[in-house]
Amino acid sequence: MSNIIEIKNLRKIYEDGVEVVALDGMDLIIEEGEFLAIVGPSGSGKSTLLNMIGLLDTPTSGEIWLKEKNITKIDPKERARLRNRELGFVFQYHHLLPEFSAVENVMMPLLIAGVDKKEARERSITFLEEMGLGDRLGNRPTQLSGGQNQRVAVARALANHPSIVIGDELTGNLDSKSSDMVYDLLRELNREMNQTFILVTHDMKMAEKTDRILRLVDGRIVCEMLREGDGFVTRDLCELEEDHT
Amino acid sequence: MFELSVAMKHIRVKKRQTILAVGAVGLAVAITIVSRSLMNGSMESFFSIFFELAPHILVTPKEGEEYIYLYKTLMETIWAIPGVIAVSPTLATTATLAYEDNVDNVALQGVISVELNKVTKLGDEYMVAGDLYAIQNGRRVVLGQKIVDKLDVKLGENVRATFPDAKPLTLVVVGIFDTGVAEWDESVFVSLDTARDFMDEGDVISSINIHLEDPYQADAVASEISALGYEAKSWRTMFPDFQEAIDIETFSNNLILILVMVIATFGIANAMNMLVLEKTKEIGMLMAMGANRSSIRRIFLFESGILGLMGGIFGCALGYLVSVYLHSQEYTVTAPTAPQPIVIQFLVDPWDLLAFTLIALVLSVAAGVYPAHNASQLDPVVALRG
Ligand SMILES: Nc1ncnc2c1ncn2[C@@H]1O[C@H](COP(=O)(O)OP(=O)(O)O)[C@@H](O)[C@H]1O
Ligand SMILES: [Mg+2]
Repeated sequence: MSNIIEIKNLRKIYEDGVEVVALDGMDLIIEEGEFLAIVGPSGSGKSTLLNMIGLLDTPTSGEIWLKEKNITKIDPKERARLRNRELGFVFQYHHLLPEFSAVENVMMPLLIAGVDKKEARERSITFLEEMGLGDRLGNRPTQLSGGQNQRVAVARALANHPSIVIGDELTGNLDSKSSDMVYDLLRELNREMNQTFILVTHDMKMAEKTDRILRLVDGRIVCEMLREGDGFVTRDLCELEEDHT
Repeated sequence: MFELSVAMKHIRVKKRQTILAVGAVGLAVAITIVSRSLMNGSMESFFSIFFELAPHILVTPKEGEEYIYLYKTLMETIWAIPGVIAVSPTLATTATLAYEDNVDNVALQGVISVELNKVTKLGDEYMVAGDLYAIQNGRRVVLGQKIVDKLDVKLGENVRATFPDAKPLTLVVVGIFDTGVAEWDESVFVSLDTARDFMDEGDVISSINIHLEDPYQADAVASEISALGYEAKSWRTMFPDFQEAIDIETFSNNLILILVMVIATFGIANAMNMLVLEKTKEIGMLMAMGANRSSIRRIFLFESGILGLMGGIFGCALGYLVSVYLHSQEYTVTAPTAPQPIVIQFLVDPWDLLAFTLIALVLSVAAGVYPAHNASQLDPVVALRG
């Protein structure tokens, strides 16, 4: 397996008034096809890390490599292009375009990629049907439940066949039944398509469905756990306490 | 073009904002169209009244010559110029008219009454007694009202025309006209033959008056005739102040109208600013999905352009309908020099519809530039947070 993401000594310092070190010299390698969870207390830098990997934000120092290419300092246009081609984001449900129907939301990354409208629609419909939303194509986000919206968001993230799918607290506001469903869906896709999934969660039960769990505290990886059969083995010293967020 | 579909979606969903922005621009365009149609109509009335008595072009003899010789060939040449609708030759001189004990010096003009009427409407609009056309048959004359007053002469009576070196003639008064313009009302008209007899001249004339289909072609036609060696002056050269007054009036009017439209497009700028604020999160999402900065800018430029275009089209339709309605009402004003009340016309120039739709479009896009730029410069992480 090849490395899809390499992060080298990544630092992110926010400076408005007080200096906040959000990422404190992080090194991380993510392999193609991994199903990875990032956990940690609130403010530990999980979202900051995802935003870096997602090319939404730039680090203060350090490097990010995507598919053996240094993308730390590429120009905004190329960043936008890579976001469109290589990355799929799943946000919380209110991150769907509110005035667009389910199918129009899923079509959007395809249209941005320049796919012709008819084909984009057909492909989006196929995705939504696979998600069990074939009868909800024309509904807007306000006309759908939280779980349904999150499935639309997943379909949208996958529409362009990205190599990496990232999700930030993507089941944060779903009940456990809906979030189980979304996770199972992602898990299945991961096995079928060998896409890489990086999911931030504060829910250990969800994290335990993945193959690798990284625990962040104060902008550092303090613990790493790898799946072995039905359980996990820790690589480093870990204080295995639950997060209270 | 996903930018266009996002822009169209905003326009469709944000109905209230759309109606306000389109309404503001539309109203401004409508006001402009009506105001311009009034301007066009007034100009048209003004021109037609003005040129009821003034020629579009006046042709006088070649330099150093007293008369236009071979005028028939010249007139044929002039007739052949496209857009010429009337060519009226004149042989003018001064005469002393006498009736009983009253005498008056007048401008005596030999004309072809049919042609004269085409360039001046004298026969159709200004006769108070008798008939202009009657001068063609023998020793007959029509007199201006001022002369009639001075000589105290009546229709059907004889006046005597004399002048040093001229052959005295007795002329029957066959018509009286009153234009209200002193210069004209001190003239008398006879046939070309009568004038030649009186002056004892051959087949010559002293000037030609020309009317054109389009008065604005006067300069071009005049220079064409000048090229033949004759002196040809367009109304612009004859009445330079007239054109200047029109230009100043048109310019200041247009300036005000453009200002009205600029103010209206502030409505679009405002709507766009609000929209960018309201759609911050959505812009963040589009950026996360891979929309680049120029795409985001384009969304809002498209949107302001479409709103402007809609405003322009709506305004043109409204302005056109209002103009047609006002035109049909035939409101009138009276002017001291005009023989009848003047009907106020509202004439829509089709080019105005096109021009002001385009102006509305351009101004609206310009109004969208700043908000669109702001939207494109958002940081995706910040934008996603809303
Ligand atoms: N835009 C920002 N400006 C200033 N500080 C920020 C900003 N974004 C995040 N931070 C700070 O960086 C740290 C890490 O934040 P974040 O990555 O959002 O944590 P998490 O997602 O793990 O809760 C926190 O202390 C947070 O307050
Ligand atoms: Mg977070």
